[in-house]
Amino acid sequence: MSFRIIKALVAKDLSLFFRNRFYALITVLGIVTYIAIYLVMPSSVDERLEIGLYAPVVPPVFEQISEEGVEIEPVESKEALVEAVIEGQYAAGVELPADIMEKFASGQKPQVTLYFTADAPEEVKDAVEFLIRELAYLQTGQMLAIDVSAEILGRDMLGEQIPTRDRMRPLFALALIMFETMGLASLISQEIEQGTAQALLVTPTNVKDLFAAKGLMGVGLAFAQAVFFMAIVGGMSSQPLIILTTLLLGAILVTGAGFLIASLSKDMMSVMAWGAVVIIVFAIPAFGIMVPGTISGWVKAIPSYYLADIVHQAANFGAGWGDVWPNLLILMGFNVAIVGGGIMALRRKFQ
Amino acid sequence: MSLKRVAVLLGKEFLQGPKNYIFVFAIVAPVIISLVFSLVFGTLFTDKPKLGIVDEGNSQLVAMSRELDSVITKEYSTVSDMRGAVESGAVDMGIVLPEGFDDTVSRGEKVEIEAYIWGESLARNRTILPVTIANLVRDLGGQEVPVEIESVTLGDEESIPWSDRLLPFIVLAAVFLGGLMLPATSLINEKQKKTLEALVITPTTIGDVFVAKGLVGIVISLVMGIAILLLNQAFGAEPLLLVGVLALGAIMAVELGLLCGALVKDITTLFALWKFAGILLFGPAFVYMFPQIPEWIGRIFPTYYIIQPIVDISQQGGGWPEIALNVSILAGLNLVLAVIVVFAARKTMQ
Repeated sequence: MSFRIIKALVAKDLSLFFRNRFYALITVLGIVTYIAIYLVMPSSVDERLEIGLYAPVVPPVFEQISEEGVEIEPVESKEALVEAVIEGQYAAGVELPADIMEKFASGQKPQVTLYFTADAPEEVKDAVEFLIRELAYLQTGQMLAIDVSAEILGRDMLGEQIPTRDRMRPLFALALIMFETMGLASLISQEIEQGTAQALLVTPTNVKDLFAAKGLMGVGLAFAQAVFFMAIVGGMSSQPLIILTTLLLGAILVTGAGFLIASLSKDMMSVMAWGAVVIIVFAIPAFGIMVPGTISGWVKAIPSYYLADIVHQAANFGAGWGDVWPNLLILMGFNVAIVGGGIMALRRKFQ
Repeated sequence: MSLKRVAVLLGKEFLQGPKNYIFVFAIVAPVIISLVFSLVFGTLFTDKPKLGIVDEGNSQLVAMSRELDSVITKEYSTVSDMRGAVESGAVDMGIVLPEGFDDTVSRGEKVEIEAYIWGESLARNRTILPVTIANLVRDLGGQEVPVEIESVTLGDEESIPWSDRLLPFIVLAAVFLGGLMLPATSLINEKQKKTLEALVITPTTIGDVFVAKGLVGIVISLVMGIAILLLNQAFGAEPLLLVGVLALGAIMAVELGLLCGALVKDITTLFALWKFAGILLFGPAFVYMFPQIPEWIGRIFPTYYIIQPIVDISQQGGGWPEIALNVSILAGLNLVLAVIVVFAARKTMQ
């Protein structure tokens, strides 16, 4: 293997890439658009249920409420309550009658009015009604005859929930990396189609040089885009070294996938066909992170799971080397298998 | 331009099309996306809290919980299965109902419940679920509710379910995969294989080729748009108007496709363009998915003027007066694009 030849081939590929101003501009604009989508999405999670309460007389139980997910704020008048609910200041408004305590004492049922906007979700309407009922039970001395022993599973994220846009970071990074798979596969497929790969092999360039050059080009482009994106969206603020290592391994993974796709493809159309399949399969784990609990254990058979999971764990939970090393090892294992398989398959095609 | 030659080229496009990957992809992909979204994502993005239950006896509470619209109830056969579901976030909270739970509650005796809470569950859901369970237990025990509750609805806006929010994305995918990618890839292929040059030295003009390829795109795009709306039962009360808007959308997609086909030199560059411009095309769909994003952002994207009239007709029961302005803008954009396509075709000819 000659480093001088590899350097020349990479320089040629890079210069071809950037000489095509349109291609280069579009790549930059692609990253910019992903960043823009990230920045436009909500940056925090509103996890509390805010309820406005208008009550001339506030029953003691209502004052003592200590539910972590509910915030009850007193409002001065019924009109102010209705106005605040319409403006979206509260998820619901509760109006208690002035004679509520007398009615409770005499065994009568006081009338409580709940105010919701028309677009209030069903679960919020039911939850507020259930909450008021429960408080009424407690106020009338009817304690619940159940004891609940609760255990929190996983890290308790109360008050520090991860916004959807941060859950989407692995998906964005993966998408940026994955599209390079098709780019690389197209490049190789084109070289085979036009016979330039075979032409190169009759010069002092050998197959290893060619693979090394294409690999470096693919890894470099995928890695640079993903790193740039993660740096801009704050994905490097926690455990940057782990993120960098993972993105590098991810870039190697998609380069291997690119080799495999190129070996299976006869022309650009089949690159698209195989590329789409690989991209869809590789994106599944990232969707699983975006919407937790939707994907079961089989997802661990997909190599990109380890890439997406490490990025998610490190960027969103601050996971360290001690937490992620098993996943890093598995990702490396997949890399060896996929890149090795890709090189073998392509080598057969060249011969 | 000769209609006969356009018809011959059109016949060739339809005959050869099904052998082309993009042709098949343009038909199959929107259907798959639609099915996946309606089957999976329709309930996936719901904000409803999810409750897991392991019933060690035969409690009525499970059926009562299932009947609630406000909570998604999932039953598990073993505690370890449920713990796994809680740990992965499949449910926000899991409870174990011991044997004889209903009898114990009916007798008014104290009963213990094991509960598991997902660490990433929202505080709101951690309140809603216990309160819901408490109410169900009280109902089960036959306790009388000590208050009368009246609910008053304010304003006239309606909640938008996720299936409706995702519809614009699916419709755009259906219209643009066929409308844009088919003419674009077809033209690029002809350019790369030099068959376009061969064609235009016959009496066939570049205009004939563009029209034939454009018509194929319009037909596939329109058919897929209609199919997706039918699949999602979103055809609304004005089907003709809707087909008209879809046709204008298909024309925009085809014009963009022809433009790409004329200006882009190879499929690799087309991929790169799709990577960037795809996001621009689907921009309005993101605005519908996340109502927190201001609506004016959607208006920046040309595809907004396709999707807004479709949403107005299919989801809000709108008619011509409601969509007239947006459809006029769409028609105007189509005219501008048509002029640009003519220039691009001339450039291709040279």
